Amino acid sequence: MTTGHSPPLPFAHEAAGQTSFLSFAPQAAGQAPPLPFLPEPAGQAPLLPLAHGVGAQHDLPLSPFYAYAGAFTALFVSFLGLALLWSASRFRGDRAGRPLPASLQRLADSSVTRTALRVLGAALALFFLAHLLLGPDDPDRNPAPGALYVLLWVGLVPASLLLGPVWRLVNPLRALLSLRPPTRPRPVPAAVGIRPAAAGLLLFAWLELVAPDNTSRPVLLTALAVHLAVQLLGAARHGAAWFAHADPFEAYSSLLARLSPLGRRADGRLVLRSPFNGLDSTPETPGLVATVCVLLGTTAYDGLSDNPRWITTLQTSSLGPTATATLGLLAAVALAAACYGLCAGALRLLNRALTTPLTSFAHSLLPIALGYLVAHYFSLLAVEGPRTVIMAAGTDNAPSPAPPLGPAGLAVLQVAAIVTGHVLGVVAAHDRSVRLFPPARAVAGQLPLFALMIAYTLGGIGLLIA
Amino acid sequence: MTRPAPRPVPRLTPGPAPRPVRRSARGSAPLVAAAVAAVLLLAAGCGGRATTHHKPGTGHEQAAGSHGTLLAARDESGHRLRDLPAAEAPAVRAEARPDTEGGWNVHLAVERFRFTPESTGGGALTGRGHARVLVDGREAARAYGPWFHVPAGARTLTVRLHADDHTVWATAGEPVQTTVPLAPSATAPASPPTTAPTTAPAPDPTPDPTPSTRTLDIRVTGSTVTPAPARVEVRKGERITLRVTSDRADTLHVHGYDREAALSPGIPAALTLTADRTGLFEVETHASDLVLTQLVVR
Repeated sequence: MTTGHSPPLPFAHEAAGQTSFLSFAPQAAGQAPPLPFLPEPAGQAPLLPLAHGVGAQHDLPLSPFYAYAGAFTALFVSFLGLALLWSASRFRGDRAGRPLPASLQRLADSSVTRTALRVLGAALALFFLAHLLLGPDDPDRNPAPGALYVLLWVGLVPASLLLGPVWRLVNPLRALLSLRPPTRPRPVPAAVGIRPAAAGLLLFAWLELVAPDNTSRPVLLTALAVHLAVQLLGAARHGAAWFAHADPFEAYSSLLARLSPLGRRADGRLVLRSPFNGLDSTPETPGLVATVCVLLGTTAYDGLSDNPRWITTLQTSSLGPTATATLGLLAAVALAAACYGLCAGALRLLNRALTTPLTSFAHSLLPIALGYLVAHYFSLLAVEGPRTVIMAAGTDNAPSPAPPLGPAGLAVLQVAAIVTGHVLGVVAAHDRSVRLFPPARAVAGQLPLFALMIAYTLGGIGLLIA
Repeated sequence: MTRPAPRPVPRLTPGPAPRPVRRSARGSAPLVAAAVAAVLLLAAGCGGRATTHHKPGTGHEQAAGSHGTLLAARDESGHRLRDLPAAEAPAVRAEARPDTEGGWNVHLAVERFRFTPESTGGGALTGRGHARVLVDGREAARAYGPWFHVPAGARTLTVRLHADDHTVWATAGEPVQTTVPLAPSATAPASPPTTAPTTAPAPDPTPDPTPSTRTLDIRVTGSTVTPAPARVEVRKGERITLRVTSDRADTLHVHGYDREAALSPGIPAALTLTADRTGLFEVETHASDLVLTQLVVR
């Protein structure tokens, strides 16, 4: 995440205009004490709003100890997985799960709940829009940028992991559309899949990681206008189904929700299930690979953008920093995609019967992307999230809360997140390959996938050392 | 800005201040004085605030007949002690934290006490008054609120609570005060609440007010930073000076610490900070929007 500007530390220095409560002159008895409450002469001019994202502090680079520990664990688990994991597929996808009580299901499905969530989403969107339009054009004093880049983008991760695809329930665009639903919506062509959402995610990542002045009002309003235009035009043609295909936040939330213990079975029942089953039931829609590669590549670029060498490249490039950063972002996504493409090609060579090598294993990259997201954005959410809420509640010059974890705790969390993502990915891929490959080739068939996952994991940890 | 609260009573006569204190009239002189004061008060009430040659809160005579028992003992500045029973006496605790730019920020936690800068110079009322700040035993300042700053170089800080009439609040014959050592870098622990005697604890053992600092020299030419942006490992608590020379007018900014310095073309500007928070912090310029270096504080 790029850097921004946090309010002055409470102890840094007297704020300009603050009342002085103390006079520092030795006084003889009988002399008049100075009048209290004289404002101090204004010190420096107020800081200009900065052209940066949200968050002033970056996570410390990983120490080699944690990095090696993580890398070793990843390798060890992978080979253990090859040798010991089951030889027949165990996951049953959307047929698995223990149903929740019928009353809970009725509550979740009731139109009152749905309407309440719609209203909540619409109200929050209006609140956001009001701050964006009327608030000060300064990310230190306006909660709108933090609401977008932290509360929505990062906050959707824990929300979707706990509760399922929440964004489609509160999506204010759906509320807007329900006011005037199109009379004869046409179905979205099957070949489109979630490709528009993948493109939207890439654009959002560009806005977050590359765009200059990405917390300023004009930039945010432009981005919002483009988003609204694409979504509403599509929805006018295809109805609310368009959002599931094209709204980047809906696709993002729905994919992450695959790892939620809360899910829906094929028969519509609300169930508690193993995240592996949820993952296994990820629909192999066109664009799934693209979406996952965008998630992997952009998060990797976020790690890269902290690297001093990359910063030097950006600052000295003859193309200018924005163009260079755009190329870097695209290259990171392309690299993630190329690695996966190579792996899929190898899988196809090993097993001619595998007709869709790309989409068959894309779901196993989701936990890896999730691990990256947690490792990169945990402290951003923990520090800037509360600050944004405090600002939205009306506090001017909100303080940055202390990070919840020390440097060592954070390093452990980052490595654990990446390695856990790796392990989940290995397990998901293993189960899928023993289902798709004939038993004789099941172990050999997984080798390219395992190599790919090890490469992703080592790359992810390497970016955190950077 | 708060409007000063109405002062209790401007004293025009040397007699006891006519305030609602339980007292039996034991002679005609106080009665007459009270009557005169009352008439004056009424007159003053018609024309607004009573004016004397002392502005509100600036008188200095010690009222003889207010709350507490006036003792004969005086502190080193000559203020008499005003004794209260322990249950009514105020208490004070001071917490000093090093400031990133030097010195300490002090926070006073008081009990049964309120800072009343608007009535300083008035009669002593239980639970009201101000604090006097003694640095290394010498009076340095008066505090009219709970927060203040002590410049670098101090070793010990004593805070003593005074009543509005400048007498020292005391209990059991000892002034209400607290003393904290001012450690040069480490955070001084909060002192226990005390109404203890004046004897100050031993002064700070390491009186080095300017710990050694590391200097980073950085030159900015156009969009080239020399040396190239890198990561500088800094120990937590270390002081570091950034000396930056830019070829254009700019603003130097340390993220997270939010310290800034103006850069003039060709003239080195220095910014010194104490790295008291861990994390990765970028040092950059505003106008040219360059990252100069990254401070890795562990």
